[in-house]
Amino acid sequence: MKTWRESETLENTSDMERGWPLALAVNEAARCHLCHDAPCSKACPAGTNPAEFIRKLRLRNVKGAIRTIKENNILGGVCAVVCPTEQLCQKGCVAAGLDRAIDIGRIQRSLIEYGWQIKFNPVESADARPGKIAIIGSGPAGLSCAAEVARNGYKVEVFEGMDEPGGVLRYGVPSFRLHPDFLDRELQDLKALGVKITCGKRIENGGVDKLLAKGYDAVFYAPGTWKPVEAKIPGSDLKNVISAREFLASMRNNRQKSLTAMVKGKNVAVYGGGSVAMDAATTARALGANKVYVIYRRSLREMPAAKHDLDMALANNVSIRTMSVVTELLGENGCLNGLKGCETDWKKAGDTSAANLVNVPGTEFRLKVELFISALGYQPEKETGEAGKLLKLSAKGLVETKKDGVSTSHPQIFAGGDIVRGPALVVEAVADGKSAGKNIVSMLAKAKKLPVSGRGGK
Amino acid sequence: MARIRDLSIEICGVKFPNPFLLSSSPVSNTAEMVARAFDAGWGGVAYKTIAHDRTKIIHPSPRMAPFNYENKGLVGLQNVEQTTDRPMADNWSDVRWLKKHYPRNVLIVSIMGFSLQEWVELAKMGEDNGADMLELNFSCPHMTVEGSGMKVGQAMELIEKFTSAVRKTVKIPILAKLTSNVTDITVPALYAQRGGADGITAINTVRALTEIGLDDFVPRPNISGKGAMSGMSGPAIKPVGLKCVTELAQCRELKIPIIGCGGAETWVDMAEYLLCGASAVQVTTGIIHYGQRIVEDMAEGLSDWMDERKFKNLSSIIGKSLKNVVSTDAFDLTRQGAAEFDLEKCIGCGQCYIVCQDAGGQNLGWNSKKRRPEVNSERCLSCMICSMVCPVDGLITYRHVPGKKEVMPARMK
Repeated sequence: MKTWRESETLENTSDMERGWPLALAVNEAARCHLCHDAPCSKACPAGTNPAEFIRKLRLRNVKGAIRTIKENNILGGVCAVVCPTEQLCQKGCVAAGLDRAIDIGRIQRSLIEYGWQIKFNPVESADARPGKIAIIGSGPAGLSCAAEVARNGYKVEVFEGMDEPGGVLRYGVPSFRLHPDFLDRELQDLKALGVKITCGKRIENGGVDKLLAKGYDAVFYAPGTWKPVEAKIPGSDLKNVISAREFLASMRNNRQKSLTAMVKGKNVAVYGGGSVAMDAATTARALGANKVYVIYRRSLREMPAAKHDLDMALANNVSIRTMSVVTELLGENGCLNGLKGCETDWKKAGDTSAANLVNVPGTEFRLKVELFISALGYQPEKETGEAGKLLKLSAKGLVETKKDGVSTSHPQIFAGGDIVRGPALVVEAVADGKSAGKNIVSMLAKAKKLPVSGRGGK
Repeated sequence: MARIRDLSIEICGVKFPNPFLLSSSPVSNTAEMVARAFDAGWGGVAYKTIAHDRTKIIHPSPRMAPFNYENKGLVGLQNVEQTTDRPMADNWSDVRWLKKHYPRNVLIVSIMGFSLQEWVELAKMGEDNGADMLELNFSCPHMTVEGSGMKVGQAMELIEKFTSAVRKTVKIPILAKLTSNVTDITVPALYAQRGGADGITAINTVRALTEIGLDDFVPRPNISGKGAMSGMSGPAIKPVGLKCVTELAQCRELKIPIIGCGGAETWVDMAEYLLCGASAVQVTTGIIHYGQRIVEDMAEGLSDWMDERKFKNLSSIIGKSLKNVVSTDAFDLTRQGAAEFDLEKCIGCGQCYIVCQDAGGQNLGWNSKKRRPEVNSERCLSCMICSMVCPVDGLITYRHVPGKKEVMPARMK
């Protein structure tokens, strides 16, 4: 496990762990039992089909293995890196019955990197067909929808509000976990399909409706959720109380220097137990923070962070304080200088839900911290509600969809990713994009009286 | 420190400290290498085949290529290595040095003549320079010198002629090293015996083509754009070696001892060769793969097994399996059985179900909810392929089912 030395900077490609050389991936694949009705393939939300690509690798059908990954999941490389595989494909791995699960993520990643090395383009697009669609948001949902539609021959334009494409993959995940170079290389496969991505173009009021009026045959709405959930703790208005989103995005906006000044030599507390909290904590350590605490209200077992991200934080000497809540942020002259917390316990044994938590009197503690980063999740921004009259929103501000999770009440509008699900995994967003893409393709084929082509993942 | 049993054995009147020998090959090319091998624990050596200086030997380059399987390298080894390319004077000097410094280790010198006269000359030099035994190389399957090596091993009169000429020249024991690239290896063995051979070494490498390059369409090893049928060694050919040794050991007319060779790497391979009638076993590819150190595990493993099975000495192991190797018409076909499953141990991969459907008797069902095979032993063919793909040791075993009739697939309806 890599630990950060204080002198190490983050903006260095070599910071990111690499996949295996192909021979080592073959080694790991050799442990696979090539199951009948394989649990790993059933567990991937995006249908990446590990059982099939591992079998192909075993039988020396390496290009076929890469094709399986990329046809099923255009972000197969990214997912291999950021996916909490131990909670998904690797969870039901039969090999664990003997010793440990197959490292599916690393095999997948190694295959994708090998494909880049040999310049193999695994995804081809069909002949051009009449029809164009607009996609709002270039995060995992938007990109995956773009690939699905584009490879069937339709024209796709993606509109992105930020300066560069990728959404949460670029602005929410630190580079030591997913380097922008890696993301950019994976985006090349999309661009090869003819997908056009326009950055720096936020969708204004009524934008979705206007796109349809402009003649797009369908719109896929996947802007993500970017507004941090605020910690309702006394003292939240103090200086040096920030959100993980702000903290991590600053790393991408060339504000690393001011960020370093804010963190270096200081004690930092991160509040939350997801991968974002771990990323923020590890980043703080990497920037030279003295002590970094992660405070999480439930136990390690309930922690939603991917194991890899938790391991990374631990390896970087982050203190993980579970079964604890922050009750008050303390300050002097408007500036944070500490926090008050308290330990929690379950009211009723056996129920590990957040609602069953209670603060335990007599366990109050204080920490001396100079930066507080809240990582309690994200919610939709105000602009979501203004994006179009044709979108129906829930009380939480999320877009309402039909049973399939991506169709909306308007036949030409689809939505997916966090804006529908609330906080969800990258691979789930990919699944939404793919599913919406399939819907759009069959809708367009029907509308243009064309046969639905056989392209696209299963 | 492991307690190593007395593993000594006498072959053709020569006492071997143990049955582990280097075969005539790259691993026995110089006194320096062989000395280190003796230090490591090898009992003897068949010193790399010496040919006469009259014919200059140049090795093709490169001369070896691996036969790999999945993530496992060197399951086999393909080579076009020749006899020694060193001058005779150097080799005989090395042979003398070895005999002087390692008098207790057995020094077999392999020779190959390219004429009757050369066989005689080389044999004489071998004896004069202190060899304990000679090994006549009638078996190299890829000599670049026309009419030598395996070509001799396939021409029965030549085997007898050359052996007999050597017999008349030297007093030390002679081994004939035979090729498996014949229909029946007992035939050349009997010719060698008639010529006066005191023992047989079997087998040399098996003539084979391991791999064709898909980029250049050239067999491996690729020697400036060409490849050749040549010798394959390693674990992949152990079954051929065992077969040949068994055939030789079961041949009533053949009265001379056998030194086994072919794919042995572990004490288990050693034990198998002994059980099939070999008195000692030669090794090359195992050393090419792992180094000379593997002899430690051969000695320790064989000792422990002998303790477990209460064998007093090596002689009591040799040939013990021969009575169990029968021709297939001698089987008792009235006994039928079935694969038995200990499903407590099952981890639910379902490979047994796949192979039973696709290559067996379609006897197993699959419970997808529980992820377990559904076993119906009545229709089991007892082919046992399920047990071969099962990753759990001892989960699927063969069981004799008294009264069970043979199972046949039903007609398509």
